Amino acid sequence: MNHNIILDVQGLSVNYQTYYGTVSALRDVTFKLKEKQSLGIIGESGSGKSTLAFSIMNYLASNGSTDGNILYQGENILEKSEREMVGLRGNKIAMVYQNPYSSLNPSLTIGKQLDEVTIFHRNLSKKDARKESVAILKDLYLGDAEGLVKRFPHQISGGMQQRICIAMALLCRPDLMILDEPTTALDVTTEAVILDLINDLKKRYQMSMIYISHDMGVVNKVSDNIAVMYRGEVVEYGDKKSMFHKPEHPYTRALINCIPRSGIVKEEYRLNTIPGYVRKRSIDEGGCPFLDRCGKRVENCESRYGLREIAEDHFTACDRAFAKDVADDSLIPKKVDVIEKTEDGEALNIVNLYKTFNSRGKKVRAVDGLNFSLKKNNVLGIVGESGCGKSTLGYTVTGLLKPSKGKIYFDGTDISMTWKRRSPEVLKEIQLIFQNPGRSLNPSFTIEQIIGRPMKRLLGIKSKTERRERIIEILKQVDLGKEYLKRKATQLSGGEMQRVAVARAFVLSPGLIVCDEPTSALDVSVQSSVLNLLTDLQQRSGASYIFISHDLNVVNYISDYIMVMYLGRIVEFGKRDEVTSPPYHPYTEALLSAVPDVDPALTKGAVRLEGAPPNPTKKIKGCPFAGRCHKKIGEICENVTPEPVGFGEIHSIACHLYSAD
Amino acid sequence: MFFIRRFIVRLGSMVATLAVMSFLIFFLVELMPGDVAQMVLGQNSTPEGLASLRESMGLNDPFLVRYWRWFSGLLQGDLGESLYMRGVAINSILWRKVGHSLVLAITALLFYVPLSIFFGVVAGVRAGKLSDQIISFFGLATMALPEFVSGVLFITLFSVKLKILPITSVIPIGESLWGNLNILILPALSITIVMFGYVSRMQRSSMIQVMDSDYVRAATLKGLPRRYVIFRHALKNALLPTITIIGMNMGWLFGGLIVVETLFGFPGLGSLTMSAIKTRDVPLIEACVLFITFIFVVSTLITDTLYGVLNPRVRLAKGVD
Repeated sequence: MNHNIILDVQGLSVNYQTYYGTVSALRDVTFKLKEKQSLGIIGESGSGKSTLAFSIMNYLASNGSTDGNILYQGENILEKSEREMVGLRGNKIAMVYQNPYSSLNPSLTIGKQLDEVTIFHRNLSKKDARKESVAILKDLYLGDAEGLVKRFPHQISGGMQQRICIAMALLCRPDLMILDEPTTALDVTTEAVILDLINDLKKRYQMSMIYISHDMGVVNKVSDNIAVMYRGEVVEYGDKKSMFHKPEHPYTRALINCIPRSGIVKEEYRLNTIPGYVRKRSIDEGGCPFLDRCGKRVENCESRYGLREIAEDHFTACDRAFAKDVADDSLIPKKVDVIEKTEDGEALNIVNLYKTFNSRGKKVRAVDGLNFSLKKNNVLGIVGESGCGKSTLGYTVTGLLKPSKGKIYFDGTDISMTWKRRSPEVLKEIQLIFQNPGRSLNPSFTIEQIIGRPMKRLLGIKSKTERRERIIEILKQVDLGKEYLKRKATQLSGGEMQRVAVARAFVLSPGLIVCDEPTSALDVSVQSSVLNLLTDLQQRSGASYIFISHDLNVVNYISDYIMVMYLGRIVEFGKRDEVTSPPYHPYTEALLSAVPDVDPALTKGAVRLEGAPPNPTKKIKGCPFAGRCHKKIGEICENVTPEPVGFGEIHSIACHLYSAD
Repeated sequence: MFFIRRFIVRLGSMVATLAVMSFLIFFLVELMPGDVAQMVLGQNSTPEGLASLRESMGLNDPFLVRYWRWFSGLLQGDLGESLYMRGVAINSILWRKVGHSLVLAITALLFYVPLSIFFGVVAGVRAGKLSDQIISFFGLATMALPEFVSGVLFITLFSVKLKILPITSVIPIGESLWGNLNILILPALSITIVMFGYVSRMQRSSMIQVMDSDYVRAATLKGLPRRYVIFRHALKNALLPTITIIGMNMGWLFGGLIVVETLFGFPGLGSLTMSAIKTRDVPLIEACVLFITFIFVVSTLITDTLYGVLNPRVRLAKGVD
């Protein structure tokens, strides 16, 4: 027995008894975790990564059954009683969750929720526990720790909440910390700060760590080793550099290749895709879990399959990632033919646009004076932290909200009103694709009804057979067959639902589509195919997009122009390459450097944004970003609102750095 | 600050509700068939007598004038005089009965609130197990049982067979309620039987929801003992919907116990309203119904306030930093 092995998972299988039969959530998972080592687990939804985390805590739903061993310090966790687990959980093994807001009790103060950990595990008095809580918050660089402990969770920002959760996990100096997607619900700038903190804590507290994420870039930043999971199995395990540069399993390689990353843009590459989607696995289904989607499969796949060590600390269930006997269609992203663009006139022109909400008698300036225009046949990507007004802008353009002040022109027509007062021609021209297709498609309608309804209302196609022909045609364009006509939205996978939403928008041949985070709710392997689809349809139809996303890599891939928003204002606007290269607005620079890189060999600038954007109910005299800016010049930033400074034809930056000279 | 402002706004809307309700009540009672003067003088009255009584009572005045006379009296605390008991001020009848009803309501509240919350929590925590099934079945069964049936059962058992409690809840003349507290038990038990099902089922379902929440999972995985997780983390949040249900039923409990009070002959607001309706005592009906409305409005206000105290998301304005 090796002394420095803290966690030894041996042949762990977890099955759930469900209404539809026994589902296999984990199958024969085996790995070892050494002291002070950090393991990143990557997987799409349904890969079993969260089930693995909760198995280690011995906390599974009552319909779950386990097989195999999880040895913690040589003792099998799965054989421990609930009472024995109480002594381990939060004490020796601690966990941090995806959604900090819902993981904190809304009706207890932060201090109370921290104190109880040491009161129970270390038998501290209330007074000593409070001292300890304040000390740990200070240790996590949280200012005003004494004030913080008296607050309730809803009174602090999401980033702060997650730091409280991390502090809570550290109170008893655990040997092992499990982090389950801890930054997924946070902004990219906050994510970067939290990841730095996790790295720092790992060194200072000398603990082992399991970091679970769907995001390869994030896992790279905090892990030594990486395990890739797919449909309940660990398909590959190894150190992160060799996993990235020389993946052995075809799934690992496909996963790496389908993620949009810096330098990959739509003019030069098509994104790689993995056909199909992650299916639930029944208990009877054996063999390679990736078989049905694998581009490298051959006849003897079944017999060759199984996890084995191919180098020191590198395990893989299949080594056909670069196999030569099957032609490679995913080595490098393919070149695409650049379609010559016709840019005649402006699709959208926005003049001095304001949108103010009333919240408890205070004015919230969600959109605070925007001026920009978008040429026809172009994609405008809008980026910014949550609360910057990007969705509000999308809603005013589509007419879901009425602008408070200012004008919106579509193709020369004034559309600064809600959809109720717009003409059917305008309604047809502007379409919207939402983030979550599962919630934006009516579950009681069939796909034919969903796509057919706007055709009847806005295109005036009365004949059902004519509508059906058009629907079949548009479904074909989004790679769905006509067997989908009679299905309902709930019977589709996330990617299929989003394809239906895209078809519903495109069937009207609109001139402008507002895409509000259209791929954020999708798995990475599905995201790339939807992005390809959106790009193809845009180039073929000549429609313009407003593409709103928090993911800079995605925006960078699909956009012709990028607009960076902060607190309802435009801080930078320009062609994609102008915005993503210097000169930068300091905020753009911070956003770009916050994006975690997929390639572990790349390291980026370390501009970190602390805190959150200022309260939008306060009237800001100077630059809204002044309080967090790393390049602040002086008093001018606080007192004078910076005007946009032009660089070249379109590129403009609203910053005193450039207006000074 | 926000919380206080919210309270003041609620208070204002409560006063407005009462003003509107007073008009509606007056108007609806006006629509009731029958002539007040006829009622007062009885079958043997002469037309002249009726006319002069109508004139002296102001019954010939327009509706709005009569309403205003009544309403301005209300504002000065004068509820008028009973018609049936000629010349007796309603103030001297009503408040004593309200006091009795209040005592009964509080007794019932003390019976059923702890009982149904406790069993609701037990059922919620052990959802699907045998104890939950027994509690849930009992809750459903009592919900389906009208209070006059359970009341009769109780009378048969405790008064007729065991002879430990009085059959009726009448206070002997010359004595007060305080000397006869045992008359409260049977009516309170009947109310408990009615309320238990509603409240415990609400408590059960909110408990199940809260026990399934992320923060309860987080509390468990912090290594806190289960009992502590249930009572300190889950219960406070799971009480919120139950409090709403209890608050919504408070009005019924204070003023709407017509069936229970009539069954047991309990001298409360419910039986007073009943007899006022039976004798067509218009001013008394108006006073009783208005008071019941008042109780409903006040209990809603209390529920809202209590909700705010228990829920910091309501109490404290968001986004302090």
